[in-house]
Amino acid sequence: MGRILDIGGRIELVSMDPHFHEITIGLYRQERDGGPVYRVHTYSGRTGSDERIAFVADAMTVLGGMERAPDGLLRFPCGEPHELACRRIFLEACKLASGSEVVARPLTILDRKSGLNMTVSGLGEGAYRVGAEGEGKDGARRIPVVAGGLVKLGEMQSRSLDTVAFSCGYDHDAAVGLLLVRAPNVRAAVREQDTAGSRGVLAAPSQQR
Amino acid sequence: MGTQTAGPMTSRERVLAALKREPVDRTPVCNPTSVATVELMDLVDAPFPDANRNPELMARLAATGHTELGFDTIMPVFTIIQESSALGCKIQWEQKDNWPTVKMREPIWEDVDDIRIPADLLTHQDTKCVLDAIRILKKEFGDDVAIIGKTMGPWSLGYHCFGVEPFLLMSLDDPDKTKACLDRMKEVTVDFGVAQIEAGADALTLPDHATGDLVSGEYYKRYLRDLHIEFVERIPIPLILHICGRTVDRMEYIAQTGMSAFHYDSKNEPGESMAVVKERISLVGNINNPETLFSKGPEAVRQEVFRNLDAGVHLVGPECAIPLQTSIENLKEIPGAVRDWHREQAAN
Repeated sequence: MGRILDIGGRIELVSMDPHFHEITIGLYRQERDGGPVYRVHTYSGRTGSDERIAFVADAMTVLGGMERAPDGLLRFPCGEPHELACRRIFLEACKLASGSEVVARPLTILDRKSGLNMTVSGLGEGAYRVGAEGEGKDGARRIPVVAGGLVKLGEMQSRSLDTVAFSCGYDHDAAVGLLLVRAPNVRAAVREQDTAGSRGVLAAPSQQR
Repeated sequence: MGTQTAGPMTSRERVLAALKREPVDRTPVCNPTSVATVELMDLVDAPFPDANRNPELMARLAATGHTELGFDTIMPVFTIIQESSALGCKIQWEQKDNWPTVKMREPIWEDVDDIRIPADLLTHQDTKCVLDAIRILKKEFGDDVAIIGKTMGPWSLGYHCFGVEPFLLMSLDDPDKTKACLDRMKEVTVDFGVAQIEAGADALTLPDHATGDLVSGEYYKRYLRDLHIEFVERIPIPLILHICGRTVDRMEYIAQTGMSAFHYDSKNEPGESMAVVKERISLVGNINNPETLFSKGPEAVRQEVFRNLDAGVHLVGPECAIPLQTSIENLKEIPGAVRDWHREQAAN
């Protein structure tokens, strides 16, 4: 009996991997003395699934600046959980096809609503300032929106309208670059996640369309 | 509730005893509806939608409820659309991570005379799949685990075949016609149920979605109580009635049917529900799906299990088919909590 592994609590799930036979990939959190570690896992026994999992985990180290613990599991160098950020990094890593080039996202992004380039500058000790460059409009309004998006997506602290920081006091440039992609429209990101999460809930016939 | 017996029971013995409110060695963990998840589908390489249409895959996925999760039952009929498909309803089979549904906006019947049970009801791919899966499971798990089948009641079939709104409007405008429709559709319930018994099912879930949100307790009494009594007489196996939603207002009538058990929703408190049914019928449930099993952690699951056990609920399990993304950790917590509760009781 029992092929289920005791690998911690599952904190995120991609129910159908679009890049590898629609396998399900989970992100699991385990507690350790030096802080939590994360494990990417699938129960699929398909040939090649181990390589797919290894790719996703490797991509997370690049996209999120995570590192391998001695046992191969993932963690942030600061030792803090940053769980929300980790979940987002995992979801983005699963969007990449195995073998594709993985590069950390830059600390700048074109904000479609304003036409401005939103940039994030590291201030050291985990703090970042959001700025706007370019020909667009509404910079004064969009900067706090993007900063607020980072706070929400990365569980960061707001220090002022344009400055945010990680409570751990460590820089996480790669993670911030990844979160910045969704920060200008955090509602859409949350909506997308809610929609994905609500799939597979059986409604009574009276509630079905 | 059952008391301790001298020796340990098999899962099957435990479930069947609890359905008769006889003594058990511990409360059985029971899933009258699906406990399939996308991760379990991967584990045994039996994904939806194929696992709803191929008997080997259906049996393999269903077995994980016992072999991996530790439930005392195996229930292979994950969906609520197998017989509707055989009746001719159009089915949206969906993908691995979603439930197949009947396209109820394209109903197949409008009137009593439209109702025709096709000759291939029991040989259609989607009903035969269930029968074959039960045979496979019976062979593999023999007398050790309770195999639970499922046959949909006529009210649910009415929604599928007439469409929800037309069927409900008919029930308001023309009760006699509605009863005539139910009377014809009930034969599907009986035929498919009896066929599953012959295939090896130990008990049957009978979902009949007179749900609390759309149908009153009085409606249940008017249209369904007597039909359900008839099912008990014609389907010679323990029946587990399943109705979603707040149903305390009809539990008195349900308890009068002679059904072995009622699979009840978390919208009903265990204590109030037990007080209504008064040991005339077993209760199965009622761990909340969307808020607890899907969204919370093992500790919250454990507390809900304890609430049911404290109230004397006869069989514990999820309230309905679990969301396909439910974590295995939460599901395994149900049997774990049941064992711990009994251990604590024994120690005290």
